[in-house]
Amino acid sequence: MSLYGVMLVVRQEFRVRLRTGRWRWLLGSWVAVLLLFTALLDLSLTGATGPRGVPLFGGLMLFVLALVLIISPALTAQSVNGDRERGTLATLQVTRLTATEIAVGKLLAGWGVGLVALALALPFVGWSIVEGGMTVLRTFVVLLVVALLIGVVCAISLGLSALLARSITSALLSYLAVFALTVGTAVTFGLSAGVIGGDRATAKVWWMLAPNPFVVLADATPKLPPAFDIQGHEIPQPGDPLGELGRSVRQLRDPDYYDEYADEPQHHPNPGPVWPYGLTFDLLVGAGAVWLTARQLRTPAARLPRGIRVA
Amino acid sequence: MRIAVRRYAVSIVRGGWAVTDTEYGVVARGVTRGFGPVQALRGLDLTVPYGQVTALVGPNGAGKTTLLLILATLLRPDFGEVRVAGLDPVHDPSGVRSRMGWMPDVFGVYEQLTVREYLAFFAAAYRLDGAVSNQRISDALLRTHLFEYANRPVHILSRGQKQRLALGRAMLHEPAVLLLDEPASGLDPRSRVELRDLLRALAAAGVAVLVSSHILSELEEIADRVVFVNEGRTVDEQDIHQLAANHMSQWRVRAADPDALRAALEQRGVTAGASSGAGTELPAMTEDAAAELLAGLISDGVRVVAFGPVGSHLETAYLAMTQERR
Repeated sequence: MSLYGVMLVVRQEFRVRLRTGRWRWLLGSWVAVLLLFTALLDLSLTGATGPRGVPLFGGLMLFVLALVLIISPALTAQSVNGDRERGTLATLQVTRLTATEIAVGKLLAGWGVGLVALALALPFVGWSIVEGGMTVLRTFVVLLVVALLIGVVCAISLGLSALLARSITSALLSYLAVFALTVGTAVTFGLSAGVIGGDRATAKVWWMLAPNPFVVLADATPKLPPAFDIQGHEIPQPGDPLGELGRSVRQLRDPDYYDEYADEPQHHPNPGPVWPYGLTFDLLVGAGAVWLTARQLRTPAARLPRGIRVA
Repeated sequence: MRIAVRRYAVSIVRGGWAVTDTEYGVVARGVTRGFGPVQALRGLDLTVPYGQVTALVGPNGAGKTTLLLILATLLRPDFGEVRVAGLDPVHDPSGVRSRMGWMPDVFGVYEQLTVREYLAFFAAAYRLDGAVSNQRISDALLRTHLFEYANRPVHILSRGQKQRLALGRAMLHEPAVLLLDEPASGLDPRSRVELRDLLRALAAAGVAVLVSSHILSELEEIADRVVFVNEGRTVDEQDIHQLAANHMSQWRVRAADPDALRAALEQRGVTAGASSGAGTELPAMTEDAAAELLAGLISDGVRVVAFGPVGSHLETAYLAMTQERR
């Protein structure tokens, strides 16, 4: 694999896409939606205690994550089989570009578009920082995790597009994969905990929630410095959706752990973070999907997926 | 120079794998390939010499496209030996790719790009550097008569023009072996003549050209050699002039005075067939026999206006081959 080959594929994909879609309209409406959301959320937070930047940022990033999870499959779910349907894949494969270069190039092109969408959210991130309460580390980590999760979803969709003959099927399955990661993990976790029953059920199946992108994002979000109540006790920052979600997931992992901000000092150790498991799992799935894509693109092909004509 | 090399080239001996790549751009021996229950190739043999145009002829489903995909490094054969430009496409696909150009029968183009951008992308994908790339692109545009379209988007091109663009793309890296799957389909008569001239020029420059086609009358003008395939096997591999000489084909004769012609034919014991405006049908005979008959008719004083084979030799050979199948 060479950088030259990868970048050639990336540039080609970008150019072809840029000239096909109505990008200005799409990106314009994306910014408009984010603007509307941030403005309304900001308005709804008037009168809230504490710095408004924290809930504004948290709400915005959860919203952005939800939206990019919907957008990302569309970026790569037809990359390989769409080319095959249009008859442009085989002519690419007989050049000196390698299968890995084509696979990685197509991933980076799709991921790149996703990152552009994320970059367009930056002004609104800036808005929440101006509102106060945010730390640089937290802003950076959250953006990084969202960026990685976009890549994971793009990679899974790319793999499906290489594996399946029809682009409609792979697009559908890509959305199903996102659904499984988000709703699926939550439902499986809830049902399993219910079946096991008892106080400590969630401690046995917490890992089922780990790959959930929202869980990964929230739990990976660095803690904010504590706030203080009227009596001077340390309390968590109020109105921090990311922090709260992260804390509740850790509590599911260790139900005995009550509250790190309890009045009496606790001797129970802090439950470990959940996100390293989830993020590692997601990244491995994504890497596996890219490997699979490259394998499917490797020629001369011994076996062909059903219903596929080489050219 | 090439001729000198050729003399020393070891020819292919069945069983004994002694091949030098100085003579043959493509060598395939006993190639088989199945797709699930369907056996597309059942032991196909083929040679494509440098400096010649070889035609691959056979009915639909004979395995022509499968064979070309194997030669183009896209498909792995189940069994058999394949060499393209002297290299094994299974073990050294990238080596083969830099020496081989391929144009598929069905293909797409990047509709959003301009003609020049399209070629420039592939030049880059073949790792041609700046100056060489520009030179080759201009050359391809000239040879495929697309120069005036260089800065127009690909999507405005007609089917025949896209076909020529694909041919230009296949030649960008100056391959020693050129594989063309049905290149003439969709081309208008002028483009076909141009294609013929282009392929002849490439062959003259030493390129090994393999063309599959259904348009037999044309192949006869383009090709030096013909390989007949049927049901995944090679049926016959021949020099096209030999084919014409050896093959019994139908003939037709036309004279200024049809009655005198009939009388002369009768006298010579030739059973004449139906007569039409085009002339009188004659029974099948070889070129030699036909030449003799013509000389005879003229010495008899028949004023012959036209005397020639009906259809092409390739066509009759093809029809004879597919007849055997039934």
